[in-house]
Amino acid sequence: MRRSVLLFLLLGFLAGCATQKPLYYWGNYSRSLYKYKKSPTEENLKTHKAVLLKIMEESSKMNLRVPPGVCCEYGYLLLKEGKKEEALHYFDLEEKAYPESKPFLDRLRAKWIGKKEN
Amino acid sequence: MDRKEGKLTMKIPKLFILFGILSLALSACAPKALKKCEVFPKMYAERPMSILVLPPINETTAADAKEYYATTVAEPLSLSGYYVFPIEVISEILKSEGAYDTEALVDVDPKKFREYFGADGVMYIRIKKWDTAYYVIGGNVTVGVHCLLKSTNSGDILWEYDGIIVYDTTARSSGGGLGGLIAAVIITAIQTATTDYVPIAKRVNYMVLQTIPAGKYNPRCDQDRDDPVVVRKTTK
Repeated sequence: MRRSVLLFLLLGFLAGCATQKPLYYWGNYSRSLYKYKKSPTEENLKTHKAVLLKIMEESSKMNLRVPPGVCCEYGYLLLKEGKKEEALHYFDLEEKAYPESKPFLDRLRAKWIGKKEN
Repeated sequence: MDRKEGKLTMKIPKLFILFGILSLALSACAPKALKKCEVFPKMYAERPMSILVLPPINETTAADAKEYYATTVAEPLSLSGYYVFPIEVISEILKSEGAYDTEALVDVDPKKFREYFGADGVMYIRIKKWDTAYYVIGGNVTVGVHCLLKSTNSGDILWEYDGIIVYDTTARSSGGGLGGLIAAVIITAIQTATTDYVPIAKRVNYMVLQTIPAGKYNPRCDQDRDDPVVVRKTTK
């Protein structure tokens, strides 16, 4: 009895210190986003979009869920370029992976897509 | 009488071993550690799944800090197991609603973020330090932040932590003598001036966010109640 309690305690402590395999592949996200924000040129936007696409591709290759927000961010950039249909596709991908994003995505869909149509 | 003594001497080594193992296990982690469930009980009670991160509030004089920092939050927070709303998209929407600064949003009822975005929690980040320092033969970069998570149900503070990292940018000269020293001073100056803040900000985030209880998408969700957390006074 005492021994099992001890073992349990030890395991708990060890687990707290152990490193885990990452949940997501984020690629070069921070860097390319920062560059684009610092100087919002066409080229930096292109690079950031490529990074977002690569995150989606690599994630599916590695059998990981796409990190939260990535599909939505990509869709949003497409929306700003006027590519409504494509944007909606990526919003749907985001919702499929993370159902909790639905209220937010619905707002995006209504607000932006409704606005562009009028 | 003899038997009693025998029992006692048997007990002592067992106790010693027990203490030895326990103190070893404890010393492997931080000494002033408390359990996560003791420090952040509301986090376990409410179990937020989605977190809306507001654009950071910059309390430093470094104009770049906000932009730099905002790009490094989503990654570690998502790895903790939370759905993180796309920070870029959120900040553009907030701007389109007339909220240009997070300072203006601090007093907004957290419940509004549930109504508007469906978020379970709102994260307020204050950048406290973003400094570059030179001294004669060295230099460093300091990044410090304070993070606060509020519930959009109750408005209560669910989690709060702050972290600071000092990153040494001193060049290590391989050659000795005065020539080596001068070279090192020049290299330090260059390295300190052009230091890439992104990895430093990331490290601060990882340090701070490892104290947040794991969320739904992390395999350790709900299993980290007894994980140790080092509780410190707020850095200023």
